[in-house]
Amino acid sequence: MALLSACGKDQSALDAAGVDAEAIRNIFMVTLVGACILWVLVNGAFYTLTRLRTDPLDDRFVRPLLIGGGIVVPSVLLIGLLAWALSILPDQRAPGDGLQVRVTGEQWWWRVEYWPDGAEEPIVTANEIRLPAGQRTEFVLDADRVIHSFWIPSLGGKMDMFPGRETRVSLHPERPGRYRGQCAEFCGVSHAWMAFAAVVMPEEEFDAWLEREAGDAVAPESAEAMRGEELFRSEGCGACHAVRGTEAVGQVGPDLTHVGSRETLGAGRLGATLEDFERWIAHTGELKPEVLMPTYDHLGEAEIADMATYLKGLK
Amino acid sequence: MTDYRQDRSALPKPSGTYPPTEEMLAEPVPDEVQAAQAERLRAAWATPKGFRYWTAVNNSEVGKWYCLTALFFMLLAGVMALLIRAQLAVPESELISADRFNQLFTMHGSAMMFLFAVPMFEAISILLLPGMLGARDMPFPRLSAFGYWCFLIGGVFVIGSIFFDAAPRAGWFMYPPLATEDEGPGSDIWLLGLSFIEVASIAAAVELIVGTLKCRPPGMRVNIMPLYAWYVMVVGGMILFAFPPLIAGDFLFELERSFDWPFFDPERGGDPMLWQHLFWIFGHPEVYIVFLPSIAIAAMIIPTVARRPIVGYSWIVLSAVGTGFLSFGLWVHHMFTTGLPTISLGFFSAASEAVVIPTGVQIFAFLATLMVGRVKMTLPMLWIAGALAIFTMGGLTGVMLALAPFDFQAHDTYFVVAHLHYTLFGGMVFPVIAGVYYFFPFIQKKQLSERLGRWAFWLIFCGFNLTFLPMHLTGLWGMPRRIYTYPTGLGWDGLNLISTVGAFIIAAGFAVFVWDLVRPKHRQPQIKRNPWEAGTLEWTHDVPEEAWGIRSIPHVTSRYPLWDQPEMQARIDTGRYYLPDAAEGRRETLVTSVIDAEPIQVQRVTGPAWITQAAAAFTGGAFIFPTFHWYPPAIVCAVLAVCCIIYWLWTSTARVPEAPSKDAGLGLTLPTYASGHASVGWWAMWITMLGDATAFASLVFGFFFYWTSQDDFPPEGAMHAEPWLVGLAALGLAAAWALTVGARELNRRWMVGAARACLAVAPLAAAGGAAALMVSVLELEPETHVYPAVLWALAIWVTVHAGAGVIMQLYCLAGSVFGKLTPRYDADIWNVSLYWHFQVLAALVTCAVMGLAPGVL
Amino acid sequence: MTERKEQLEEIAEERASLMKITMGPLIWAIHFVICYGLAAVTCAKGWDIEMARVGLLVFSVGSLGAIIWVGWNSWRQWNPHETGDYFNSWGRAEDRHHFLGHAAFLLAIISFLGVVFTSLPLVMLGGCQ
Repeated sequence: MALLSACGKDQSALDAAGVDAEAIRNIFMVTLVGACILWVLVNGAFYTLTRLRTDPLDDRFVRPLLIGGGIVVPSVLLIGLLAWALSILPDQRAPGDGLQVRVTGEQWWWRVEYWPDGAEEPIVTANEIRLPAGQRTEFVLDADRVIHSFWIPSLGGKMDMFPGRETRVSLHPERPGRYRGQCAEFCGVSHAWMAFAAVVMPEEEFDAWLEREAGDAVAPESAEAMRGEELFRSEGCGACHAVRGTEAVGQVGPDLTHVGSRETLGAGRLGATLEDFERWIAHTGELKPEVLMPTYDHLGEAEIADMATYLKGLK
Repeated sequence: MTDYRQDRSALPKPSGTYPPTEEMLAEPVPDEVQAAQAERLRAAWATPKGFRYWTAVNNSEVGKWYCLTALFFMLLAGVMALLIRAQLAVPESELISADRFNQLFTMHGSAMMFLFAVPMFEAISILLLPGMLGARDMPFPRLSAFGYWCFLIGGVFVIGSIFFDAAPRAGWFMYPPLATEDEGPGSDIWLLGLSFIEVASIAAAVELIVGTLKCRPPGMRVNIMPLYAWYVMVVGGMILFAFPPLIAGDFLFELERSFDWPFFDPERGGDPMLWQHLFWIFGHPEVYIVFLPSIAIAAMIIPTVARRPIVGYSWIVLSAVGTGFLSFGLWVHHMFTTGLPTISLGFFSAASEAVVIPTGVQIFAFLATLMVGRVKMTLPMLWIAGALAIFTMGGLTGVMLALAPFDFQAHDTYFVVAHLHYTLFGGMVFPVIAGVYYFFPFIQKKQLSERLGRWAFWLIFCGFNLTFLPMHLTGLWGMPRRIYTYPTGLGWDGLNLISTVGAFIIAAGFAVFVWDLVRPKHRQPQIKRNPWEAGTLEWTHDVPEEAWGIRSIPHVTSRYPLWDQPEMQARIDTGRYYLPDAAEGRRETLVTSVIDAEPIQVQRVTGPAWITQAAAAFTGGAFIFPTFHWYPPAIVCAVLAVCCIIYWLWTSTARVPEAPSKDAGLGLTLPTYASGHASVGWWAMWITMLGDATAFASLVFGFFFYWTSQDDFPPEGAMHAEPWLVGLAALGLAAAWALTVGARELNRRWMVGAARACLAVAPLAAAGGAAALMVSVLELEPETHVYPAVLWALAIWVTVHAGAGVIMQLYCLAGSVFGKLTPRYDADIWNVSLYWHFQVLAALVTCAVMGLAPGVL
Repeated sequence: MTERKEQLEEIAEERASLMKITMGPLIWAIHFVICYGLAAVTCAKGWDIEMARVGLLVFSVGSLGAIIWVGWNSWRQWNPHETGDYFNSWGRAEDRHHFLGHAAFLLAIISFLGVVFTSLPLVMLGGCQ
């Protein structure tokens, strides 16, 4: 069992870091043990009867075998198991403790809005989910064009995201840490590259982070970063991306206001080092086939470095 | 009420002795009589030679082609799987592009399901069932041939698209909006190509059900049928209820793709969930449609291995019928994560667990049989043992997945990939291969190699577990399905590499198996007739092969006649039993009653023909051209297909016989013609219409689904169908029905003129009714919202069916005028009346929905 | 005339017996469809789910009663205690008759379990979320 849930796997359903994932893991572990026993019993009987003891047994054993093995035992086991599973089902849809996160599936990234309890306006971000530990957060999900599925295995089960319809799921993380979520419903060419980092933080840290996230972008300071900002403007990046506090207000692509503080780039495609920013700008289409964003490979190396510095600075 | 049977139009009834007495059976047949009879039979059933070989319609030929074609498609789909595995062997691999990968997995799934699993069941059943039932052939050989050629054309078209980089790429489940919005012909190829094959599948299902119900040997009551026949009946019934919802879904989907009618577009009132429901109402029973016939093969092999009758025959029947029913209550377990109400999830979770019970019963019945038998291990049994080991594991992971909370995690991950391959390899591939080894002597009159068979088994078994066992873990560690690549560092790298190695070992095993199958065997000595010492009728086959199926059709009194009726083999061979002769040089088989298999008719079955290929080719054109939006050639093909089918029916079905009855052997005289529910044609129509009605019901379900899923359906201020025209349509179509039924009754009473008059007026009424229905929706704009679109779809459905009904009425009229349909020989009009019973019901429901719904909802 | 009538009766009896073996599963199917359909519509339209639950539970009890009745009838048709034959593996009319009773009886058991399983969510799950 310990082997199965080996640590260091950010996307493992067996490495449960939340109440929901743990409940599901428990039910899995119990059924796994039961399944192993039943498998050995049935196949052992089959092997014995075809290989070890091929002489006929008396007919009077037949009816107990059929009634017991075929009807009574499975009925009892299954009804118990079903009752257990049904009993934990409502928890997975329980209402949240206040914070609501609205996630919209796009091809192939995540639009994220935080709605703290009683908020009038959302705090907009993208491609990363941060959650406070020890409380239940409700997710309101929908999608832009095609169906996606929202899933953070370490925290709990998945829920599909539909265009034109809202679905809801709630998660109750316990253990702070960095996990990985991924789209689980096939959504087109780059389905494989639609992931995100999910960071669970202690409550106070989360509140501080959310406050920072609500603020405008920090202005560039170094000369490179300022050149980068100028390029960002002149290349028309703002038509698709928003950087709050600047004239970039595009809504087609992910919000970049605090992109420099995120753990990943391109919806979980790359890490978030300066080199990753450069790679992403220069090789977008290669890294993520048929992505909407054009590849900026006409820019010189220095220009790309400037732009990366600017973006990485958007903490 | 007049007693039909005593007036001059009555057909003769069976007369003579039945059941045969022991003295009659013991009386020898003189040698020269035997020889002459055999000669005539041989001539009547001769398989055409040279290029005409391809006109053959005999079940033994068509069944073989069918099996080989399905095997070929399976191998292609297997190669696709190898490419998929090669791409996934290492993280961030660039071997195959994302788009190509998506085509590959879409096609792998679609081909395995639609071009291999279901057709393989039909192929094997067409090949084996007549043998097991001691029938000469299936009741409608040309229909089997038509189905085969449709399958071949459609299959080559669909699978061929991958070589042109134009294959469907939205997954085998084709979820809208991804699939509806997909550019290029991929989705259309899937929809139209596979609809075409589904039609062929339904044709085969009809054939198999009628064959099981009506073509059993005399005396084979339902309680002594081979278990395989029970399974065929259950599975045939499941196909009838499972495929039509998908066909209805395809119909709506293609209307959206071609004409932009927004059935699945949420912006205009449509709902992608409707497709998911229709697809999985098909998709889950489909799994059992694939699984049950394969278990049926095990149910034939196990008694032979245990050398005693199956234990718990009734239990296995219970299991087959019970699984058949319960499998229709599981579809939402593919949709557990779509946000349906928890209570709905609860129902489907419960039913998904409940289905385990009948499935388990059948495994315990096999165990019990082996327990009380004297087991003699054989190669086919090795494959069955492998099947059991793999299938029980798939079943147990199925128990886990049926628990909704666990499914929230495992859904759409490699855990499910592992689960489904365990159920399908264990529940289908292994038993089918066991069946190939077991039945090969029956099919080819040759034996497969024991040594190669063991090699193939161990390679496939080990390769399989190496591939799929680790996948459970890959899935639980978070790897979703259908991703063309993955980053390193998530723990998936090693597991994927192992799976890829395993996949190539499976491929090696299949290479050995296929080589064993196709290697030349002409130097092999003649095999024993019943090499496994089995007890069922197919092992009375002739070695070397004869095309007649069975020399004479026996009277059966037990479940294992070869074990319990020791004289049977000799009596069959000497022509002691029924239909030992082909005096008129016609192909004939025996039709018996549904429950007790009492002989009721000598059925003339059809022989070799080109017309079936022509009909299949044109039907193919009618489906394939619209893929490329070439509508004029499609319409021409559709018209030609109808012409071919009419010619085929006219020249070879329900022909007026040269004599009303004939000697069937053993002192029994049977009619040579039947109409109404005594005839096989009527049963075929009934069964087909049941499927058709299911498709129609799915459309109506769609209408009400929109009502439940939306707050305003029909939308505020929407235009409705013109009510008085809808009323007129109901009247017209009801009149067409009444006139058809009236014509049947008048014809029976020798009022031929009046009957013809009815048949002349009925098409006018039908056409008028259908026209009124179309005009009633003419003003509505189906592109604007799903409400007008769904009304249009219903109107089109009814109109097309009315059109087919008109053709049938005219066919009967022509039959009456040209002497094909007489007061005595009136099967055609009985079948057409039956068709209209169903259509009038569909028309009235449609009119009620269109006319009343706006007021009521 | 009489001949015709006899045949009709025989066919009617035959059809009735085939009907009988599917009777249990049919009751399960109807029960299942009504449970799912009513729950789905109730949730979609925001009707009172508690009422629907109670109604459906009463319906479950009725369905179980109907299945027990089918089972009892088929048990009598099978009649193993008087005939002493549990297998009905021969080709006589009474074998067929008993066999159909046996199959119907076993299917009634499965259908009974099916309805019990389907009713469990009604007992355990309250709402629509």
